[in-house]
Amino acid sequence: MWKNYLNITVRNLKRHPLFSFINISGLSIGLALCMLIALYLKDEKSFDMFHSKKDRIYRIVRDDIQPDGTATHDGNTGMKQGPAFKEAIPEIEAFVRIQSERLPVKVGNEVFEQEGMYADSNFFSVFDFPMKQGNPATALSGMYSVVLSEDVAVKLFGRKDALNNTIELPLGDDRAFIPFQVTGIVPHSPLNSSIDITMLLPIQLNQRRDGGDNSWLNFFLNSFVVLNENADPKTVEAKMEKVYTASARDEIREMREKFDFKGEMRYGLQTLKEMHLSTKYVSGNGLKDSSKPIYGNILGGIAIFILLIACINFVNLTLARSLKRAKEIGIRKVVGGERRQIIIQFLGETFLLCLIAFLLAVVLVFLALPVFNVLSGKSLSFAYLFDIKLLLVYLGLFLLTSLLAGFYPAFVLSAFDPVKTLYNRVRYAGKNYLAHSLVVLQFAIAAFLIISTITIYRQFNHLTGMDLGYNDKNLIMLRTEQMKSDRLHTFKNELLKDPSIVSIAGRQGGSWYTVAKVDGKSMDFALEVLDTTRFETYQIPLVKGRNLSPSFPSDSTSSVLVNEEFVRRAGWKDINGKQVDFFYDSLKYDVVGVVRDHHYESLAEKIGPQLFIMHPKYSYGELAIKVKEGQGAKAIDHIRKVSKELFPLVPFNYEYKDVTNKRQYEVEEKFQKIISYSAIMAIFISCIGLFGLASLAAEKRTKEIGIRKVLGDSVLGISSRLSIRFLQLVMIAVVIAIPAAWYALNTWLENYPFRINIGAGVFVFTVFILVLIALLTTGYQSLKAARANPVKSLRSE
Amino acid sequence: MIELKGISKWYNTGANKTYVLRDVDLIIREGEFVSVMGPSGSGKSTLLNILGMLDEPSEGYQYFMGEAVHLLKEKQKSNLYKKNVGFVFQAYHLIDELTVFENIETPLLYQDVKQSERKAMVADMLDRFNIVGKKDLFPAQLSGGQQQLVGIARALIANPKLLLADEPTGNLNSKQGEEIMQLFRKLNDDGVTIVQVTHSEKNAAYGSRVIDLLDGTII
Repeated sequence: MWKNYLNITVRNLKRHPLFSFINISGLSIGLALCMLIALYLKDEKSFDMFHSKKDRIYRIVRDDIQPDGTATHDGNTGMKQGPAFKEAIPEIEAFVRIQSERLPVKVGNEVFEQEGMYADSNFFSVFDFPMKQGNPATALSGMYSVVLSEDVAVKLFGRKDALNNTIELPLGDDRAFIPFQVTGIVPHSPLNSSIDITMLLPIQLNQRRDGGDNSWLNFFLNSFVVLNENADPKTVEAKMEKVYTASARDEIREMREKFDFKGEMRYGLQTLKEMHLSTKYVSGNGLKDSSKPIYGNILGGIAIFILLIACINFVNLTLARSLKRAKEIGIRKVVGGERRQIIIQFLGETFLLCLIAFLLAVVLVFLALPVFNVLSGKSLSFAYLFDIKLLLVYLGLFLLTSLLAGFYPAFVLSAFDPVKTLYNRVRYAGKNYLAHSLVVLQFAIAAFLIISTITIYRQFNHLTGMDLGYNDKNLIMLRTEQMKSDRLHTFKNELLKDPSIVSIAGRQGGSWYTVAKVDGKSMDFALEVLDTTRFETYQIPLVKGRNLSPSFPSDSTSSVLVNEEFVRRAGWKDINGKQVDFFYDSLKYDVVGVVRDHHYESLAEKIGPQLFIMHPKYSYGELAIKVKEGQGAKAIDHIRKVSKELFPLVPFNYEYKDVTNKRQYEVEEKFQKIISYSAIMAIFISCIGLFGLASLAAEKRTKEIGIRKVLGDSVLGISSRLSIRFLQLVMIAVVIAIPAAWYALNTWLENYPFRINIGAGVFVFTVFILVLIALLTTGYQSLKAARANPVKSLRSE
Repeated sequence: MIELKGISKWYNTGANKTYVLRDVDLIIREGEFVSVMGPSGSGKSTLLNILGMLDEPSEGYQYFMGEAVHLLKEKQKSNLYKKNVGFVFQAYHLIDELTVFENIETPLLYQDVKQSERKAMVADMLDRFNIVGKKDLFPAQLSGGQQQLVGIARALIANPKLLLADEPTGNLNSKQGEEIMQLFRKLNDDGVTIVQVTHSEKNAAYGSRVIDLLDGTII
């Protein structure tokens, strides 16, 4: 029996290669995408799950609640919280603090730049990171010990077994280089770990010499706690609240008085397991970026859409071909086949087809994995596939696809009345609502994806092409060590000796926000440490007043500049006599000029108030260097040479500002690529389906076409008659897709303060593209049918 | 063997009933070779299908080998039919994707006959009809007469008591037709009850009795 079914299936597949190709290729692409997404999601979900204490490890997080009820969430804490909570709350078994810092590393005479991380000495007893060499229990106990990953060991020493070797780090007094002994070597951290060990140092080295370590209100690292087996995190949170209010009371009072601080602070616990997929508490300071679950969800949605499209093809083609299979079904029934057996036969056929598609999908996944890794920013390996849970998911996917694609056709076909099919009495209702609605659904999905692709592409171009308010072309950003004004000027003068360099401006490096009083009210703003050449280098025009200048010697201690937004927020009409009061430093500055607004943060942020200051107490850590067009390489050579002479121990580290800016939109860029690839895939699968349907429709109407031709209809008349129905379906699909896409994309665009508007153009274009595609796919078949010799088609009746 | 009492078959076309068969009484005894004749549209094929339980009458009583067919459930009817009835069609109705051997074998698949047994039975049948050499060919590779031979072989493979043939020679030339009729006579001599629908007086003459149908009524 099964052999008979198998023979029929295989011979049918061979006899109709077009349909076999459409069905199998569509299904395998759909399945392959689903498999890739399952891999992706599994990887996302598996983050940090390899720690044996994962159920008991929590990160201490904070909610800062403003008087108006809005809350900001933060995952950062300071040195104080971990020990203070551990001491007072018995449920807390242990705490570990981690903080990352980029450090220059000296080995012999060579200096490398290396990402490092400070951690408490019990790090290895809380987290499950295996150690290749060294003793995990004591590796971080010594003050001057360091644990390296194998990659870093190879980078620094050229070999993996670097235990007991010595490196030098600038962690002595006045940042002098002092020796450290390598006390442990760990393998590369798992890719699905939020903590990536490269160079691990004892956290005592990170102590704030100004006493900041004892503050409750200084946040710069991540604190983890391990709770008892039976501890209830809610109870612990309540206790933390008490500890904090009692212990930090004085400090809070002082803060309120001094900084006009009005908010409330709540401490909470976030489980390690949730950390990676949570966007509420921002990562950083030693933790890999958490990822937005929305991307996983969208990817999953797309994969399911595409699989659905492929299943629809299968159902539609099988039903359309049922004309041909009807005779076989009739015969099987006449010779004694029962309906149940026919259903089993057709389900079996679908299963076999799905199996072929499934195996092909595995091959596709293997081939597509490198591309997918680039797109999704993952390093998934094919070996991940052989995981029992994932295999079960795939088995489920396979069964689901087979049932989805096979169930309906099997039931419809098995219900055929043999008398009717064998005596050619079957009358097909002219309107096949199901097949048509499925085609509409397919093309609606395709239209949705096309509109999304175009819109995301436009938004991306909008972001990357927007006027930033300054010129980021030929602008090199160079990280330096902290320099006071005099050192900055020596450096600048040396650099300016090369004619390829146009101008140079120092800034503090990184962004900095602070608060001050304006007309008696406190105001938050971004603070920029200024160098007089700043606006000339960035090409930002002055709107009012004057720039700070060496010809006004008091400028550095008593004058500041602000941006237009600052003036707007302050509600000033002009700046004459206006002052900014840094009340906590007891310093007041005159506002002497206003510069045009520019995007100092990513375009995902609105331009906020900004203040520029030159007070000698600040130092510079970054240079903006404007170079002549086309002379970048020459300039960089010169900069490298000068840096080496002046700062031999600082690794050379630069980047073009336009490259940095562009990188801020990496997520959008990847996302745009993923969506466009899926749109192409969806359109391809929909089209081959439509192609098949059109060819079957032409076949079904051979007689009608023959008669029309005999009666004198033209080839064009006939072929347009055949194509027009499919065009109608495509139009309905577009009408459904447009409002859905409009709504979804508007929701997405609302995340961006600087966004495009979705105009009618994209919809018109989508309609045009889809109509064109539908015409091309169905036109060929229609034309072929219309040109066939009517004598042949009528005689066979 | 078969008894029809007051069998009618109609279709609803709009508000009217269109009768295909009207009040037919018919008895077919075991071992008979009956030919059903009549012009196109007189209800011959419908009568044949009702006899073979492929089609249901709109009203009337029907007995097959002592069972009251009109009272049977679908499953019982299918079992009764599977074991006792073989069908031959004018258009042969072979499955295009199966070889001669597999086509003949198909009815056995639905009767749960073991594979070795099936093989023997099909080989026997191929031998009997002299088509051993054609067993691996597909229907499209055979002439009309050969296809009809395969069709008959398939109808007979499960040793039915009743063979129903709907214009079995309609698509064949006269020589092929004659061979088929002679085969039918031989089968009838071996004890198979045959009911055939035919347009040809000559073919009808091979049978033992002729039933004339006109507008759904026996005359």
